[in-house]
Amino acid sequence: MAGNAGNNQRIIPLDEGWDDEIKAKAIDRLEGLLNGDLTGSIFGPKEYVQIYTTCYDMCTQRSPYNWSRELYQRHGETIERYLTTNVLPALRDKTSQGGTILLSELKHRWQNHQIMNKWLKKFFTYLDRYYVKHHSLPTLSEAGLRCFRTNVYDEIKGDTTSAIHGLINEEREGKIIDKSLVKSVVELYESMGMGTLDAYNTDLEEPLLTSTREYYAKKREDWINDSTPDYLIKAEDALDAERKRVEDYLHTSSEAKILKVVEEEILERVEMVLLEKEGSGCRALLQNDKSEDLQRMYRLFGRLENGLNPMANILQNFITSMGEDIINRRKARLDSGEKDKNDDPKFVKSIMALHEKYLGVVKDDFGGNSLFQKGLKDAFVEIVNKNVGQFTNAELMSTFCDRILKSGGEKLSEKEVDANLEKIVQLFSYLTDKDMFAEIYRNQLAKRLLSQRSTSNDAEKSMIAKLKMQCGTQFTSKMEGMLNDLAVGAGQRSEFGNQLRTVDTKLDFSVQVLTTGFWPTYKSPAIALTPQMSKCMDIFKDWHDQKHQKRKLGWVFSQGNASVRGIFGKKSYDLQVATLQAVALDAMNGGATMTFTELATKLNVEENILKPLMHSLSCGKYKVIKKTPASNKINTTDSFTANEKFSSNMRKIRIPMASLDGQLNTKRVEEDRTIAIEAAIVRIMKARKTLQHQQLLSEVLAQLNFFSPNPRLVKKRIEALIEREYLERSADNTQVYNYLA
Amino acid sequence: MDVEDSKETAASTADTSSSGVTIQLISKEGDKFPVPITVSNMSELVKSMMDDKDDDDDDDDDEDDDGKEKITEIPLPNVKSEVLKKVIEFCEHHLAEPMTEIEKPLKSQNMADVVQKWYADFVDLEQVLLFELILAANYMDIKPLLDLTCATVASMIKGKTPDEIRATFNITNDFSPEEEAQVREENKWCEEA
Repeated sequence: MAGNAGNNQRIIPLDEGWDDEIKAKAIDRLEGLLNGDLTGSIFGPKEYVQIYTTCYDMCTQRSPYNWSRELYQRHGETIERYLTTNVLPALRDKTSQGGTILLSELKHRWQNHQIMNKWLKKFFTYLDRYYVKHHSLPTLSEAGLRCFRTNVYDEIKGDTTSAIHGLINEEREGKIIDKSLVKSVVELYESMGMGTLDAYNTDLEEPLLTSTREYYAKKREDWINDSTPDYLIKAEDALDAERKRVEDYLHTSSEAKILKVVEEEILERVEMVLLEKEGSGCRALLQNDKSEDLQRMYRLFGRLENGLNPMANILQNFITSMGEDIINRRKARLDSGEKDKNDDPKFVKSIMALHEKYLGVVKDDFGGNSLFQKGLKDAFVEIVNKNVGQFTNAELMSTFCDRILKSGGEKLSEKEVDANLEKIVQLFSYLTDKDMFAEIYRNQLAKRLLSQRSTSNDAEKSMIAKLKMQCGTQFTSKMEGMLNDLAVGAGQRSEFGNQLRTVDTKLDFSVQVLTTGFWPTYKSPAIALTPQMSKCMDIFKDWHDQKHQKRKLGWVFSQGNASVRGIFGKKSYDLQVATLQAVALDAMNGGATMTFTELATKLNVEENILKPLMHSLSCGKYKVIKKTPASNKINTTDSFTANEKFSSNMRKIRIPMASLDGQLNTKRVEEDRTIAIEAAIVRIMKARKTLQHQQLLSEVLAQLNFFSPNPRLVKKRIEALIEREYLERSADNTQVYNYLA
Repeated sequence: MDVEDSKETAASTADTSSSGVTIQLISKEGDKFPVPITVSNMSELVKSMMDDKDDDDDDDDDEDDDGKEKITEIPLPNVKSEVLKKVIEFCEHHLAEPMTEIEKPLKSQNMADVVQKWYADFVDLEQVLLFELILAANYMDIKPLLDLTCATVASMIKGKTPDEIRATFNITNDFSPEEEAQVREENKWCEEA
């Protein structure tokens, strides 16, 4: 662009400028330096500026004396000549002398080339600014690099690549190699892509992946006879070493590729063999609590796509079989004649312990991975819903809670109680029939509350809160209502107590009001109470009606209890009895003898109630009533009288009576289910208006969280709803239902 | 040797240099101009020399042999003292107040409309000196100075007829009428635009 305007310099002819200045002062000196003939400084500012100025002048002279094209060309030729006459022969010389020697030579020559390229670029840099740009040519350094690539790299790369592989394999076998040498040569490969990694990828990485695959295929065959943990230790070490190798001297982009090849060869291909190895596979490790080995196994197979699925399956099967062992032990106990009660703490505790253990294993050894969590869950769903004997696991679990929560059961600290409840609720979450558990639990809770045998109100609340967390408010609303009744009742009792004191009743009397619906339904047999009792009841009724005019009061005598002073001979006892027992004792007061029928008439009570009632007083541990004839069974022909000779070491005696309500009423659960299913159907149909049978069925099943009903039962409910005209079958397709508003 | 000049230069820049390293630029005539490295680094040519001084420190025994920092001398045989003085003036000012990018095409014949006042005043020079400044900027590879000086020449051409341009730059018309017609024909697009 700039001419020589105002500059009266002499024109420099091409050959003079080149031969006398550039070649003599720059190139010859540079080559001499590279060949080791010269020592000391390369080019100081003075020399540099002189050569630059010569080039500048030669490139800024007016045509036909502008030598830009010629200088550009000679720049390339200079490099090419040097490479072909000096570098290449030197390298060829070394190809047969072993990897390290060849690579060292290449490293040296490559460093030289970089020095040469740098200086030539500096000297000729004016070309880069205009000539190269205007003619869209490769820049000086690029041209120099290309020159190296064509004249040296392409000639020698086959030999150097195998030399590098050789060194890598030596290192894999534990030899010490010159890493920095390999690293320098690898950098050369990276540069040869001219700004891309193409050369590195094709010339070095691809063959390396192939040789790596071969290497580890062989290793796999060697190692596979080891135990699984030993194999995996070697595998992990190998993967670490490969990762480290990439870090040390390969390009970072190779890490994923190399590790993938190694993973495929030493893990993926033998995954099932390793996992199922007799005596040291995944199952054996679980069996022997080999935490460290399991963690390593998890780490390694977690690297593979879907590599953890088989492990999670093994875990699930293993836990399931452990659970089955526990169930079988219970079965064996029952088979060998142990009484089949609704209370089997040994069994529940075993299941709880199993769950806690593998919850920990999943969390600690398997990183809380969701596949393993699912495996654990599926295993426990299978275990927990497998019932043996006449009582369901739901009932056994609920009874276990009862043991913990009632006085005189397990002796546990507050913390232990809570921890146990927590574990039970975890097991509960696997139950299919959650409503069944709820029903049993509610009955047992009612019993604890009404007989004042619940140890801690806080523990009761905490358990209900846990259930609520699992299943929502609806699930626990009744239980909460029960606790609430008691809380309200305490206040009411003291208020009514004040009222009662104003009247002389000769009785201590209190009432617990229960809200219908929250509590289980109890039999409430008619019975003629003692006059004192009736009087107190009337007082309460008046007081209550006054306070709550819209509430209807009913009486459940069967749930009441009383404390009766009994005097036998010279001794007197406090008898803790049920209200019904107290009434019967009152009738026998004074030593009268009565036949069964007389008693039934006097108390105005049915035979099936009186039988267990009298049984508890005359055939139990404490025989306060004498029965004639004496036997362990009540007959309608028996007669009764107070047992004058009764005596006991204790002053305070609790005389229990068999519950009138008998065993759990599963009918009630079934009724509730019927309602829940119908409600779900109506809810869904109201939203959808029209739905196919299959779809409706699956939506209903999805909505019901507390149990999983038999599809036939759902179909029955649909039919019932059609009958009651909530739904109709579609006229053109009997498999489709319409909602009738 | 122009002692006064070099002293002035050194004094006026002494406090602006932060690195403290001083470079000695040497003009065609051999005059020495000490400048802070920050100023001389405006020239890509000088900068590239300083760069490899860092790279090759170990090899440069002759420079650093006695341990003490020697002031690096950089000869610039293509730049006269008169011109180099202007170049340094430009570089110093550019560090304090960088020149705004020159908009192309030029929006005015008046340089004051194109760059800050200082720069417009700076290029208000005799033609000969202006052209030498262009050459120096190109030689030393100082892009903003090259932009400014070239833009100044362009502003002298802008809006003028060929005859006026010839008059401005004192050029004799060496085209024959046929040649001139041909050039006009070839560049017709230019006038249409």
